[in-house]
Amino acid sequence: MTNTTKIQETKTDTDMRRIVIDPVTRVEGHGKVTILLDNEGAVKQARLHIVEFRGFERFIQGRLLWEVPVIVQRLCGICPVSHHLGAAKAMDMIVGADELTPTAEKMRRLMHYGQIVQSHATHFFYLASPDLLFGFDAPMQKRNAGGVVMEHPDMAHRGVRLRKYGQKIIETTAGKRIHGTGAIPGGINKNLTPVERDRLLADADQAIKDACDALEFIKKYMEKHQDDAEALGAFTSNRLCILDSDGAMDLYDGTLRAVDRQDKIIFENEPVVNYLQHVAEEVRNWTYMKFPFIRQLGPKEGWYSVGSLPRVTACDYIDTPLAEKARREMIEALGGKASGLTMAYHWARIIEIIHGAEKIKLLLQDPDLLRNELVVKGKRKDEGISVIEAPRGTLFHHYRVDRNDQVSMANIIVSTTQNNEPMNRAVEYVARRYLQGTEITESMLNHIEAAIRAYDPCLSCATHAVGHMPLSVSLCNEQGDIIDRKNRAYFNSQQCII
Amino acid sequence: MKEISFIIDGQKVRAQEGQTVLNAADDAGIFIPRLCNHPDLEPFGACRMCTVLINGKPQTACTHPASDGLEIQNDTPQLFNIRKSILDMLFIEGNHYCMFCEKSGFCELQALAYRFGITRPKFPYQYPRRTMDATHPDIFIDHDRCILCARCVRASRDVDHKHVFGFVGRGTAKKLAVSSAKGARDTNVSPDDKALSVCPVGTLMRKHVGYSVPIGKRLFDLMPIGSDIEEHVGKQGKE
Amino acid sequence: MAKPKLSTVFLGGCFGCHMSLLDIDERIIELVDIVEIYKSPLVDRKVFEERSDIGLIEGGCVTEENVEVLLALRDHCDFLISVGECAIMGDIPSLRNTIPLRECIEEAYLNTVSTWNPTHNIPNDPELPLLLNRVHPCHDIVKIDAAIPGCPPRSDALWEALQALLHNKPVQLPYEILKYD
Repeated sequence: MTNTTKIQETKTDTDMRRIVIDPVTRVEGHGKVTILLDNEGAVKQARLHIVEFRGFERFIQGRLLWEVPVIVQRLCGICPVSHHLGAAKAMDMIVGADELTPTAEKMRRLMHYGQIVQSHATHFFYLASPDLLFGFDAPMQKRNAGGVVMEHPDMAHRGVRLRKYGQKIIETTAGKRIHGTGAIPGGINKNLTPVERDRLLADADQAIKDACDALEFIKKYMEKHQDDAEALGAFTSNRLCILDSDGAMDLYDGTLRAVDRQDKIIFENEPVVNYLQHVAEEVRNWTYMKFPFIRQLGPKEGWYSVGSLPRVTACDYIDTPLAEKARREMIEALGGKASGLTMAYHWARIIEIIHGAEKIKLLLQDPDLLRNELVVKGKRKDEGISVIEAPRGTLFHHYRVDRNDQVSMANIIVSTTQNNEPMNRAVEYVARRYLQGTEITESMLNHIEAAIRAYDPCLSCATHAVGHMPLSVSLCNEQGDIIDRKNRAYFNSQQCII
Repeated sequence: MKEISFIIDGQKVRAQEGQTVLNAADDAGIFIPRLCNHPDLEPFGACRMCTVLINGKPQTACTHPASDGLEIQNDTPQLFNIRKSILDMLFIEGNHYCMFCEKSGFCELQALAYRFGITRPKFPYQYPRRTMDATHPDIFIDHDRCILCARCVRASRDVDHKHVFGFVGRGTAKKLAVSSAKGARDTNVSPDDKALSVCPVGTLMRKHVGYSVPIGKRLFDLMPIGSDIEEHVGKQGKE
Repeated sequence: MAKPKLSTVFLGGCFGCHMSLLDIDERIIELVDIVEIYKSPLVDRKVFEERSDIGLIEGGCVTEENVEVLLALRDHCDFLISVGECAIMGDIPSLRNTIPLRECIEEAYLNTVSTWNPTHNIPNDPELPLLLNRVHPCHDIVKIDAAIPGCPPRSDALWEALQALLHNKPVQLPYEILKYD
């Protein structure tokens, strides 16, 4: 265990005061990219380091099972609903609620689709669209959402509206836009009143329209900018997602399917309780984020990707008409399901916004949402496992509780972690393509960021850390000396928000 | 019963002899903040939140008998600051994680802090290491949140007649304990005990409930603590 | 007259407070009209070249790097606000304050059931900043001028506070939006 020494020599309180007096000069660098060059100046290795850690698995131990959905959603403020529902589903199992009431299940689904719309809209409009509208080499003063507001007000308003719609649905179902309490083990704590239902239903068509308009935009963009799209990486990968029993996309519940790079099935119809037979996470010493892989392919070959693109390409169909039409068009345009175009993640994300908005409209017309049967209970178990498709991909929650109802074991595999290897590969791909000489150019930095951004990494969840992730890129020669270094607040330009 | 009258903040209040200052003020629609006091329990005078100036001297309103001609100050900047400091100290001495506490929205400590407009305590957090007693199948006791108000101690002794709760230790080591070293499972406490329903914070809680009241519908979400008292102004005797 | 400058940082939090700022919805367009978002996870600037009028902090201090970022922010902001419970009291990350850090790390990298770690590897690269033994609220490290509580603060609370500050009025949050959860 010699390699553990350093990490355990963490700062004591006294040390920290020393820092206060004499701060180290290296400022901001929560996510870092390091690129290693060989003697010929070619890229030997490129790495994305995630540099924060929180320790949820440990400190959740001892908490009561009812508290878990409310605590763990605070892994992430961007998609808290995914963790809230993921944990609630695992706890359903523990309190013996094998089948929820239709009202509870549908209220949760409504909340979840609200989350999909909200999170994807935040990502696409607030974070990614500046790159697409202004180009990767536009001046940084303009390449942010403020610039979008100034020059593309239609786009900005569409984004604000869609995000607001998703957030309003979450607020109505969970009591609060961020970190609410809607789902409780065995069900839900509120139904919908007719007034709430009508208010949400009134805006449903606008949301679908906004999403369809965004689809037209991304389709045109991908047509026009094929080079740009390929510049951000194109490599096939294994993919994982959950599907309903019919092979249709189901973002709330289902069984696991994994497909390989040739689109052949690795496994399917696997109930989530077997997830440990299929998935494991490798630890590497240079990042706090682990590297999940499919066990039967091993740690080297088994890496896989999750999220919008894998979902849209690994499912047999989508069960809402506009999204299904868009899915077919995309697959045709990409020339098949196994396309590994990093930029296609954006396209798939818009398809899922459409799907989410269509589902929301259907659910809101369902009278079950107004009914009063909210919670069920059954025979108590001591273990619960759940899976849900978070906006960023498949999310596993696994808990054991002791006879006092306190958590004794927790394991969470978050979506972004499963995209760790693909993101590293995309970074390496872009680095090889854009490195000229031994200098980090603005263009290379922008492209690296855009490639990472396409995966919509929520580094807040990943590592169960709080991942603010200012990006810093350093270039090292073979001897390990730094020959160039550039810093950039990651969430900034990476995920520039305003 | 003899009717008396006294002055709070320049206002004449009528009361019955035998009432405490706090009860008389309640009846007159004047809210004096309190934590350890509970209408169904014997006054205790422990938390000092209800400290008022009676004829110029600080006294706890919950234990002080109302009598004719008292001059009482309740709503003054000085008393406001003293009470706020008490709240600040209670917050930093325990581990009060409102964000995931089931009692949020119903917690009297939290509600008082809202009413006082506290945005952060002025003292450093202590993060004490405390335990949870979840041994009972229907009840859990989260010591992180205990403010030692002794409501449960009094309720269990005087109302439930069970003597389940008591204090052990002194000073900063003082803590709530139950009548068995094996934990709550080994006592005759029941989820319907008065002791549970009077807990002002999230220390004594029922299991299996979860967050059953949605955000926005909880007791103190929209109405500040004490507004029920202030609303029935004039019911008895404020002039 | 130049627009007042607003800077924000994201330390040990979940980004929920920044998301809550976006929850002001259409008012965001008004906001970028009345302030310059100077240095923040929200814009691209790398270093402080000028001072900011207002600084907002999301998150507590979890790593040595958080401390450095916070100190730099204090140096460059006239009025510094702790936004949300992480910055104010440590919130969920500080749940580890009563547990030895080693236990948290070993649980995550050695013990969890899906971990595959035959060499007992624990992340220790020099690129990774050291974790502090305890998570610290921001006022443990620097002087904080005001706080907006909540997990996250309601978007209306953020909006009201910014409006008040930008118009040189005292920040007074209405009862309905001053919440700790």
